Amino acid sequence: MSKSTIDIRGWGAVTTLGWSARESANNLLSGNVRPADFCTSSHLTNRDLKAFEVPYTGNPLNKSWAMLDSALTEAFNRAELTAAEIAESCLLVGTTGGLFIRNEYEFTEIVRQNPGKESPPIACRNRGPGEVADAIARKYGINGQAMTFSMACVSSSHALVVAAQLLQQKKIRRAIVVGFDPLLNLTLQGFASLLLYDSEQCRPFCANRSGMQIGEAAAAVILEENGNANNDCRKKVVRYKFAGGYLFNDNNSLTSAGVDGELAGNVIGQTLTTAQISPAEIVAIKAHGTGTRDNDLSEGRGLVKVFGDNLPPVVSLKGAIGHALGAAGAVETALWLSCLEEGLLPRSFGFTQIDPELGFAPSQVNIPAVDGAYLFTFFGFGGTCTSYLIIRNPQGTVA
Amino acid sequence: MNNKNKCISSMPVVAASYLGPALMPNLDVAWDEAQLPLSPDDLVQKIIGQPLRRAGRFIKMVCCGALVCLKSVPAADLKEKKIGIFLATGLGNVDEILPFITQVFKHDGGFPSPNQFANSVSNAAAFFLARISEIKGVVLTISQEELSFESALWLAQSYLECGEIDLALVGGCDVFTPTVADYRERMDLRPDNHRSMPMGEGSSWLLLGNTSSKKIGNILSVELDHTSKTQQQLLSDENILSECEKIADSLLVKHDQQKIILPGFRLIGTDHSFFKDKGWRVEDYLPHCGIHPTATAYGLARALLSGQSDFFVHCNYHAAGRRALVAAVTE
Repeated sequence: MSKSTIDIRGWGAVTTLGWSARESANNLLSGNVRPADFCTSSHLTNRDLKAFEVPYTGNPLNKSWAMLDSALTEAFNRAELTAAEIAESCLLVGTTGGLFIRNEYEFTEIVRQNPGKESPPIACRNRGPGEVADAIARKYGINGQAMTFSMACVSSSHALVVAAQLLQQKKIRRAIVVGFDPLLNLTLQGFASLLLYDSEQCRPFCANRSGMQIGEAAAAVILEENGNANNDCRKKVVRYKFAGGYLFNDNNSLTSAGVDGELAGNVIGQTLTTAQISPAEIVAIKAHGTGTRDNDLSEGRGLVKVFGDNLPPVVSLKGAIGHALGAAGAVETALWLSCLEEGLLPRSFGFTQIDPELGFAPSQVNIPAVDGAYLFTFFGFGGTCTSYLIIRNPQGTVA
Repeated sequence: MNNKNKCISSMPVVAASYLGPALMPNLDVAWDEAQLPLSPDDLVQKIIGQPLRRAGRFIKMVCCGALVCLKSVPAADLKEKKIGIFLATGLGNVDEILPFITQVFKHDGGFPSPNQFANSVSNAAAFFLARISEIKGVVLTISQEELSFESALWLAQSYLECGEIDLALVGGCDVFTPTVADYRERMDLRPDNHRSMPMGEGSSWLLLGNTSSKKIGNILSVELDHTSKTQQQLLSDENILSECEKIADSLLVKHDQQKIILPGFRLIGTDHSFFKDKGWRVEDYLPHCGIHPTATAYGLARALLSGQSDFFVHCNYHAAGRRALVAAVTE
């Protein structure tokens, strides 16, 4: 078993299921899951694409900030971080759109306020993907290195793996890893234009699947090298270890990881080898499971190559919260951890029929969470792959 | 560590390239903001040998700049090497995103071009570069506004140090996008926080690590100080000199070596004579590339290709008051 020294000290998330990771987990585990629906946010122009929207009364830009604040506050509180600890932390953000929502919101507001007039050209006023990290650093007084990964669907999962490496090298003391992607016309219609959007339902690993559905989300996960908590009286028992990860970029296809499962299998295999964990030690798999034909084939076949007939329970969260794009890594990690805290592994939503090309069904019932190693996988646009392991420790260690 | 994020392990520079708004690699050529952006297609043909028909300017600029750098090293020296790509960009591929989102709103719900969407995705350029240069493994797109390149350099150093890669191809690319007013707003350029200079663009690259090729220099340190400072503190020539002298002392720079400061686009009113009196020369690279978020990459690559044995420090700061210093020496 891996001898990881990296603690997961705290986490928080906002998803369509709730304004905290805890609330989201409780709704997920109790089956209080609504299917994706037509969007209501004022900046979204196409009312035919169903998505997983975070409920909010107010404008979408304010909602974005509220989502970030809520996720960070939950993570800081759970981690019991002092102001000094927050200040010395390193901030790694994973996002595809950053604050592009500002452009969309301002444009649609101008159009709305000027009925009958010709629309002006949309202006691009956001400051690039790094704007989110800059805003968070300023607001919370984070003085460590700030860095943004803009790597499509693996943005925040890559950020988690990079953070772990920087911690292992003792380049940084603590990492606040944030994932953030609100619903955008840009991405909703972009994936629809690629014919990768399922207009009915997100059905990961199901024979009837026909595409993904986007869900907006924000999350924060705090990683720290064991023993780096500053204040003795605040030291807490940490039950989760980040046991290493692996990131890889293939250059064969911009949009597919290869449906033979070779690439996905290699990435998962490399993750296990590096962490010195055998396939038999994996308790369950939090799969990427987007519901697109190619992703599920490449990932599913990759899992079968590694685990064979002993495939542990496989869960995709995207049938319940949608694909959070660049935020997926941090969001799904936070939600999974909150489920573990409740003592259960969630079931997959959206599945009805085994795909004979895969030969397995994702987990269909909540199952008791046990101590051990959990595998997380993410695959994205541009040949990007991330995989990592989180270990639930029976006794926990003191941070 | 902590507030001052510093990498101090020296990184050998095997190769460098710089490409500015005139689209003439490794040359200082006059250009005019009013004529930008120029078509990169001839350059693409010359460097890549085939047109990248489906790609936008950002992707073409990334690929051209990086390939000029890679091609300056004998292919045998790159064979069997694990190369990581660290693409830094402040604003990303806006030239693809804007037409796509315009299509989205124009058609009010119709399907816009899937190809344009694919190219607008943030890491598409890094994918194209990885494919053309046949690199697999660590390929990262990093963005942190005007400190994007410094951040990528800092991260590349950690990857080299832990041995996960043998070589790091680290570059900064940002492209000129009309209108100039929008471009300036996206970079948070206000009258009092940047030099009076046209807006530009660039794709400039460094190949770092150990090969049998003769190195052209070393990146000696990358220092990112994230404690917010007042503009007065950041712009004080005395403070800048003090920081640069500290770095020179800590790195044991030889007394007979020419010491040079490369001022970034936020450094207003640098007094060249003040630095000259203290033994430092101010080398102004910005007129050759114009203001863009990753101009640091241009300044450093150009200095590293100067062919002189110099010690230099690139100095810039973020609009929020964070200072970034990169020290290098040419062989």
